[in-house]
Amino acid sequence: MSQSDATLVLDGVSKRFAEFVAVEDLSLQARRGRIFGLLGPNGAGKTTTLRMIVGITAPDTGRVAVFGQPMTPALRDRIGYLPEERGLYKKMKVGEQLRFFAELKGMDARAAERAIEHWLERMKLSDWKLKKTDELSKGMQQKVQFIAAVLHDPDLLILDEPFSGLDPVSVETLKTAVLDLQAAGKTIILSTHIMAQAEQLCADICVINRAHKVLGGSLREIKSSYGRNAIALRATGGDGVLHDAALVASVKQHSDEAEVLLADGADAQELLRRLVAAGAHISKFELIEPSLNDIFIEKVSAN
Amino acid sequence: MARLLAIIRREYVQRVRTRFFLLATVLGPLLMLGFTVVPALIFQINAGGPTRVAVVDETGRMYERVREALLRAPEEESDAAGENADASARAPETRGAVGKTPVDFDFVVEQVAPAGRTPADVQRELNERVRRNELDAYVVLPPDVLQTGHAEYYARNLGDEFTAGQIKRRLSEAISEQRLLDRGVNLDFVHDSARAINLTTRRAGADGASGEARGSFGLAFGIGFFIYITILLYGQVILGAVVEEKATRLTELLFSSVHTNTLMLGKLIGVSLVALTQFTIWAVAFLLLMLYGASTLASSNIHLPAVAPSLVIYAGLFFLMGYFLYATIYLLLGAMVTTTQEGGQLSMPVVFMLAASLWLAVPVIRSPTSTFAQVVSLIPFSAPITMMARIVAEPPPMWQIVLSLGIGFGTVALLIWLAARVYRIGMLMYGKRASIPEMLRWARMK
Repeated sequence: MSQSDATLVLDGVSKRFAEFVAVEDLSLQARRGRIFGLLGPNGAGKTTTLRMIVGITAPDTGRVAVFGQPMTPALRDRIGYLPEERGLYKKMKVGEQLRFFAELKGMDARAAERAIEHWLERMKLSDWKLKKTDELSKGMQQKVQFIAAVLHDPDLLILDEPFSGLDPVSVETLKTAVLDLQAAGKTIILSTHIMAQAEQLCADICVINRAHKVLGGSLREIKSSYGRNAIALRATGGDGVLHDAALVASVKQHSDEAEVLLADGADAQELLRRLVAAGAHISKFELIEPSLNDIFIEKVSAN
Repeated sequence: MARLLAIIRREYVQRVRTRFFLLATVLGPLLMLGFTVVPALIFQINAGGPTRVAVVDETGRMYERVREALLRAPEEESDAAGENADASARAPETRGAVGKTPVDFDFVVEQVAPAGRTPADVQRELNERVRRNELDAYVVLPPDVLQTGHAEYYARNLGDEFTAGQIKRRLSEAISEQRLLDRGVNLDFVHDSARAINLTTRRAGADGASGEARGSFGLAFGIGFFIYITILLYGQVILGAVVEEKATRLTELLFSSVHTNTLMLGKLIGVSLVALTQFTIWAVAFLLLMLYGASTLASSNIHLPAVAPSLVIYAGLFFLMGYFLYATIYLLLGAMVTTTQEGGQLSMPVVFMLAASLWLAVPVIRSPTSTFAQVVSLIPFSAPITMMARIVAEPPPMWQIVLSLGIGFGTVALLIWLAARVYRIGMLMYGKRASIPEMLRWARMK
């Protein structure tokens, strides 16, 4: 990918706090109009990485470039940030509060008012504009926080665990909003440890574990590089075949089917033949891609 | 700049709009009035009515004088300004009813004549009357009281030292007057001669109005006191304002939008404007009250001391410096801690420091040119009060005043910067309270 369409470039970035290494030699690129997933277990260094991108902390070594330039206060206004640790002023009215955040991003009053109306409408919170924040439910507050991040129409939107703690309906509302922003050409960095969400939304990912990058690139390529070596199997009988270590690496039993991972060099057709020969009654035999979850667990636990 | 204004506006509007602000504004002066007036009122309560005292006069000639001394109004005793003719003309028994000052001791006095009984019999009878609550106390004046100066006081309630003290004082007066009379001294002359002198104070070598020095010492102390009150009232508010985003977990969102310096400055100015608003309301209310009572004031003998305009300017500058200095200390405390409770504990030394600088004004006003005075009036934490004290006592060289102000406002800027750093780094790294060494280390960090 070329440098020119990269909204965000991290180049050999490291950050340590006293003895603790938070991020070590991290490089990544997020491209315009795509959703980039920053994935990793808790404590991997995701939040520190995001803070360096937003310019809250500076890296010890390495380079962060946003819109092709090093971070400046003016560039901050083109970034929207929904931090993982988030709150609101409890005693302020929702509208007032959003107006304040808009002012902090340098918006003029009229544009701010328009954007507030638009987003409150979209998040179905218009009736709450004049209510004090502490009268809102937790989920509503989270939507207000999301509005605070997108209000000033940022070109780069950074969302740290945006869906945590939301009910399914709100998750869908937020996802739709994120996808619309992407379609409008915004670059979105999504940090999460819920792989199913990342799998649905992200075009590119970077997995970090214990301060190090363990995997990166386009999700499509990563998945295909892992090959189709897993099989969704629904069958009765033929259990002995699944215990053959030369053929099967592992079997994960789900509620009504099993996920069978082939051993290295084993052939799926060979497994099917053996099962039939063993007299198994097969109702489903499907070659599947490994899920991002599987890849993630493999990468992170191997590390 | 627009962002700074946004922060100032938020801090200001959010505070001024609260019911608490309204209550504090209305109740503040009432409370202050309460603290000064109520104790005075309570002390005046003499729940038991006048004290009934019997006098056993064994000299046979002291009773009238003692009675007069006991019934005399207190202010006439201390202020012998030639109104004794008045006092002696007044019917002694009605003294309690016409007493002018509220804090006074009402006595009902009666004479007990021995009438042939032995002193022991008389005393027994009086003891009995005290027990029956017909009498509160009695005084025995032995025949040789004028020579020995020894008399006896018997009372039901020995814990009432106030009454015993009054009796002692008034008896002493009566005895001393009698002794003078016995030597043939005119009493009016005695009272006249005991009048306190009236000392007019003027600065040497200056043709300034008399009384200026005293009035302006009041000014120096007044500024100190005003800073003290303001900080007591608003120090915690500033601390709370800084802690607010930590409590509401908004720090990161703010960090990603504005520089911490801007945030700190905005909070400081916003809260200060709230204080200014409150004081302005109080001042206007006070002025209206004064206007209302202007006629009374004009007819009374109270004259506000004449204050030179330069003094007013200095007073303003040093007040601002002192206020911002202590306010930024609270800003720093707020940056160090994670809850206002923690901050409250840390603020004790600050209040002490402020009180100490008020005390320092006393030695400074005594010897304003000493090295001690020069040093403490340059140290920013005591300068606002001590430098003002020096200015009114004996104006120091201009360069010292300017230097003191420079150091003071420089310290304010430094403290704001330090608070911003401690706030930012402390929050991001640990989310916990900072120790002082950690704070200094963070100040040097990138």
